[in-house]
Amino acid sequence: MSSVYGAGILKSMRIAYRNMLRRPITLQYPHERMELPERSRWAVAQKFYDDGDPKCTACLACERACPDLIIQIETTTAEDRSKHIHHWRYEMGACMMCGLCVEACPFDAIEMGRDYELARIDPSELTVDLLTDVPAAQPKRRAETSAAEKPAADPPPRSREGWAPDEPKGGDDA
Amino acid sequence: MSPALVVILRFLAALGLMLFNGVVMIYMLRKVLARLHIRLGPMDNGPWGAFQTVFDVMKLLTKEDPTPRAVDRALFFLAPFIVFIPSLMAYMVLPFSSTWVVADLPYGLLFIFAVMSFIPLGILAAGWSSNNKWSLIGAMRAVGSQVTYEVPMLLAALPVVMMAGTLSLSGIVNAQAGTVAWVIPRWFVLNVPAFVLFVVAGMIESGQTPFDLAEAESELVSGFATEYSSMKFGLLFLSEFSNVFIFSALIVTLFLGGWMLPWIPASLYQPIAPVIFMLKTYFVIFVLMTVRGTLPRVRVDQMLSLGWKVLLPASLAWVMVTGLIIKVGGVLAGAR
Repeated sequence: MSSVYGAGILKSMRIAYRNMLRRPITLQYPHERMELPERSRWAVAQKFYDDGDPKCTACLACERACPDLIIQIETTTAEDRSKHIHHWRYEMGACMMCGLCVEACPFDAIEMGRDYELARIDPSELTVDLLTDVPAAQPKRRAETSAAEKPAADPPPRSREGWAPDEPKGGDDA
Repeated sequence: MSPALVVILRFLAALGLMLFNGVVMIYMLRKVLARLHIRLGPMDNGPWGAFQTVFDVMKLLTKEDPTPRAVDRALFFLAPFIVFIPSLMAYMVLPFSSTWVVADLPYGLLFIFAVMSFIPLGILAAGWSSNNKWSLIGAMRAVGSQVTYEVPMLLAALPVVMMAGTLSLSGIVNAQAGTVAWVIPRWFVLNVPAFVLFVVAGMIESGQTPFDLAEAESELVSGFATEYSSMKFGLLFLSEFSNVFIFSALIVTLFLGGWMLPWIPASLYQPIAPVIFMLKTYFVIFVLMTVRGTLPRVRVDQMLSLGWKVLLPASLAWVMVTGLIIKVGGVLAGAR
C-alpha cells in the first residue's frame, strides 16, 4: 500500500483530521496557568518568620557563594554585635539561578522563588532590593526569648568597607 | 430603480461580500491551522477571537505606506489593483442562487477563466516593480505556475461543460438538478477524474500551500508581496483569499450542485439558496485549508512536471473519454 502513488498524501490527511479532533495541548497563558512542577525554581526570594521578620542573619555566606557576584548585602554592626541590613541587593537580570546561594545559607533564610513572570519593562527594575532597612535575624536570641523582644535601636548606618556596586570584589572567586 | 443604480448596488454588494469573505477566511484559516496544530488560535479579541482579523485590517489601514527607493513607481502602485480587480470581476458572475447573481453571463465560466488569467500579470508586475530578488523570483514562479495550471484547469472544466451543454454558470447548476438512479444527486462530481484534475489545477491556481511557490514564506520572505505594506499589501492578501473563495465557489458550481440540495423540491430551499451555496463553498474552503495545513510545499520542477506531464495529458484524455461516453450514450439512447 505504501508504494501506491499518493498513499502518503492520504495518510497525512488522515493524521491531520485526527489531530483536529484532539483537545488543544496549549494553555491560554495569561488566563490559564500551568501548575508548576514541585521542584521548579526561579529567582532568589527571602524567607520570613511567621511574624514577618526576615530570617536573614546577614552572615554574607550567600554573597560569598554567588559565582556571578550579584548579591550585595549592605550591613552595619551595632555595639551589641546585632546587625542591621540596609540593603539586600539582588541583580535578577544577571542571576543564572544556580541556587548556590540557597545551598550556602546556613540559616535557611533564602530560597529559589516560584514567581516566573520576571520580565521587566525597565532594565533598572532588574536589580531588586529584597530587604531594605531591617534588623538582621538573631536565631539564638530569638530562641531564648520567644516573647516578642525586638533588637535595640539602630546605630547610625555606616557603609561596609570596600563595598562597590559595579566592581567585582576579587579574591574570593577562585 | 434605474438600471444603472441597480448595477452599482450589485457591484457594491459584490465588493462588500469580497471584503467580508476575506476577513472571515483569514480568521478561519488561522483557526483551522491552529486546530491542525492542536492549538486554539486567536482567542482574545471578541468571542473566540472573532474580531482578530477586524483589528488586523484596521492596523493595515492605518499603517504607514512607504515606497522603497528604487521601485518602478507606476507599476508598483498599479500592481495591487491589477491583482485585485480581476478577483472582484470574477465575483460578478458567481451564481449564489438562480436570482442572486450580479451578472448572469451566458459565457460565465469562460469569463471567470479569462479574468483570473490577469492575476499572474499583476503578480509579475508587483514582483518586477519591487526591485527585489525575492519578489522577482516569486513573480516568475507565479507566471511559471500559470502556464502549468491554466490549460489543465480549462480542460478539466470542459467535461462539465460538455455534460451541461452550456458555459453559463447558472445553466451548469441547473443541469445538475435531479438524481441518478433515484438516490444519488446528479452532481457532476460523479465525473470523478474531472473533479480531481480540476481541484489539483485549481489548488495551483489559488496558490495554496502545496503549490504556494510564488509566496514560499520560508524561501522568499513573502514572494511578490515582500516590498508591499499597508493597504497595498492588504489588497494583495485579500485578492489571494478571494481567489481561494472563487475557486471553491467554482468547484461548488461545477461539481457540487451549486445552490441546490438533493432530494428536496426546489421550492422549499429556494429562499435559503445563497446560504446553501455559501455553506458548500466554505466546506470546500475548509477542506482546502486542511490540505494546506498538512502537505509540504512541492519544488518548482515537481510542480511543473505535475502540470505538464500528468495534469495536461490526463485532462486531455479525460475530455476525450467524456466526449465518447456522451456521444455513445446519446447514440444508444437514440437507438432505443
